[in-house]
Order: sequence, then C-alpha cells, then structure tokens
Amino acid sequence: MHNSEGVLSGTALIAGWAGSITCTAIGLKKTDTNKIVRTALISSAFFLASLVNIRIGPSSTHLSLLAPVGLILGWSAFPAMLIALFLQAILFHFGGLLVLGANTFIMGLPALIVYIIFGKMIRSENKIFSGVMAFIAGSLAIIMAACLAGVFLGISDRNFIEAAKLLFYAHIPLALIEGAVTSFMIMFLRKTAPEFLS
Amino acid sequence: MNIEAITESRSHSDISPEVLLSCSVIYALAVSLSDSIYALALASVIPLLLVITKKLNLSLLVKLNAFNLIMIITIALTWPDFNGGLTKGIVIALRVNMIYIFFAVMIYPLGYAKIFAAMNSLNIPEKLRVLFLLTLRGIFIMHERYSCALISLKLRAKNLHGLMKLRAFAYITCSVLLQSSERSERMLQAVQCRGGFSGFIQTGHKAMSPYDVIMCVCFAVYAIAIIILNYA
Repeated sequence: MHNSEGVLSGTALIAGWAGSITCTAIGLKKTDTNKIVRTALISSAFFLASLVNIRIGPSSTHLSLLAPVGLILGWSAFPAMLIALFLQAILFHFGGLLVLGANTFIMGLPALIVYIIFGKMIRSENKIFSGVMAFIAGSLAIIMAACLAGVFLGISDRNFIEAAKLLFYAHIPLALIEGAVTSFMIMFLRKTAPEFLS
Repeated sequence: MNIEAITESRSHSDISPEVLLSCSVIYALAVSLSDSIYALALASVIPLLLVITKKLNLSLLVKLNAFNLIMIITIALTWPDFNGGLTKGIVIALRVNMIYIFFAVMIYPLGYAKIFAAMNSLNIPEKLRVLFLLTLRGIFIMHERYSCALISLKLRAKNLHGLMKLRAFAYITCSVLLQSSERSERMLQAVQCRGGFSGFIQTGHKAMSPYDVIMCVCFAVYAIAIIILNYA
C-alpha cells in the first residue's frame, strides 16, 4: 500500500498532503497530553508489525494493523501513522518523504473510518458479536486502503486504473489475514486490558 | 538517542539538516513533476555525480530495481497500449532511482538526532516532535521484546499454521504492547514530575549559515530549471 516516490503526480501529492495535514492537525488537537505515550506505543507497534513477515503459500506479506490502530486511538491514529510512516521511510526506505502525505492519508483514513463505524460495536457485551465486528473492521480497513491507493493512482493518471484494480485484488488475502489478527487482538485486549479500548 | 549529536556545534563546512531536508524535498518534487526526457536528463546530473563521488549501498539499489522491474512489467501489461506503458514504467523507474540516490546520500545518513533538530528548526508542532521521540524510544523497547517473543514462538511451535499462527502473532503484539504500556506509564509520570511536556524539547534554533543560503538558492534554481525544461 506504500506508494513509492516518483509514481504520483503533483495533483495527487498535493491532495495527499492537504488531507493528511488537516487530519493530523485535528488528531493532534484531540490527542490528550496524558495519552501521548500510549499513542507513541501504538505507533511503535504499527511500525514493528510491518517488519513481521507472514508466509502465504509461496509468497509472504506483512501485517499493517490499520484497524487496531484506529480502534484504539481514534483521531490520534493520524499523527501516530504519520510518525511511523516517516520512520519507515527514513529507516527502511518504504514509501518516501514526498509521498508521505498520500501514504498517511491512505492508511489513516480507513483507520479513522473503522473507528467511527465499529468503535462502539467492538465494546459490545456480546463477545462473539464483538469478535465478528473486529474481523469486519480489520478486513474493511485494508480494502479501503487498497481502494484509496487506487484512487491516488487514478488521480495521477487515468491509465493506472487497471493496475489499481490488480493492486486491489492482491490485497484481498491480506484483508482476510488482517481481519483475523484484528479480531484476535481485540478479543485479547477485551480480556486483559479493556482500558485500552475505552 | 545520541543527545550529544543534537547539541554539538556545527562546523562552517556542514549544511544544516533542515536545509538538506528542504532541498531534497524540492528536488524530489521537481523530479516527480517531470515527464520529458530533457528534464529527466538534467535532473539526473546530481544523482550521477553523487553515485560517482559517494559510496552507495548497492544492494539496496539492486533490491529497489528488482521491485522497479516488476512495476514496469505490471504497468506495461495493464496500460491501454503496451509501448506507452513500457515508456511510463521506465520514466517512473528513472524518477524512483534519482530520488532514492539523492535521499540515500543527503537524508538517510543524517541520523535521528539531526532529523529531530531539523524538525525543531522547521517549527513542526511540539506534540508531533514529542510523539516522534517517544515512538523512537517505543520502537527500541518493543523491538527487543518482540524479537524475543518471536524467537520463543519459533522454538516452542515450529510448525504453526493458519489461524493458530495468526492468533500467536496477535497475542504477541498485544502482550508486548501491554508490557510496554506499564513502562510507558512510568515514563509519563517521570515526564510529569519534571514539569510536563512543555519544555520537554530544549534544542535551540540555529541561524542559517552562508553555505545554507547558497545551497538553498542553487537548489531552487536547479528545480526551476528542471520544471521549465519539462514544460518547454
């Protein structure tokens, strides 16, 4: 889902930066100073998750934890992702500095949307319902991120639309994996540290 | 975090990190906007000079170009016209290489301390800078625990598959998060004892040196020349 440097057009870059600066500013305003350490920890977890490779048949993928970040942090997910993606660009050369705005928006917006839709549902008394909702949230976040990446490619050049479709299909197995991981994570946090979801 | 590196005095021959960061972003922007072969030829002058004069990690460049090759093939096969797609893919691969070489020489070797100093000088909001420092600290703490947990998982259960494997990853992530959370609460209390986050960052703003000004002017002219050549 990381757009690489040199792929996006000027319009897409400006749109990405405008969206991510606005959302990060709102996120920073809504981040309580006492919660800043927790935000940093989740940001670190998001960063580290990208280093864990999971084998799927002959290929392998890495976790992105978009939905857990959104469900735990809400609006603060934007600054957390901006910092994590910045560090990924500097340390591992994933993505880049110029496309940081677009990449933050691509990953931050789905996290925020799943928080708005599923935030209350995963705190339901019914454990099974909560687990199922967490699964849907995890899968939906990846699908939305893949769609947004496609939109940015489409803004850059309409001829990229076929490549964007391919990108979308490639993310379907990852969406299922992320859904399962999100569901397990939410169930674990509900049992051991419900204050994380409050 | 190397605190000495933040507070060290800058020699006259050094370019300040915020200027390097700004010039790199301006260069990357000019390259990203370029499609014409002449503009790209002009833009490739500095990366070529950097390749000749500086030592580059060639293995990373090879990996990058292996990815570029897949990208070129994908674009060529999905583009309405194969030759058009191939050209577009090659242009993008050229841009990616130029920007990567530039960043690899100018930005990536700076280190956290100088990048943090650059964030300071560029007036990035304090909350974001604190978040950057704490995230970096969190990565160092969590990475150690995460690696131990993954090694332990490999030793205990070599042949984990399917949902069990995903559940193990999810539980490890949550466990590490909770262990680090306890430590972070103590970190927060320590910060509050020292007077909170206001004044958490004490590095001062440095004035631009003549070298910085010359660098900025040169890069602005270079970027404008690339853009003009692109649209000419």
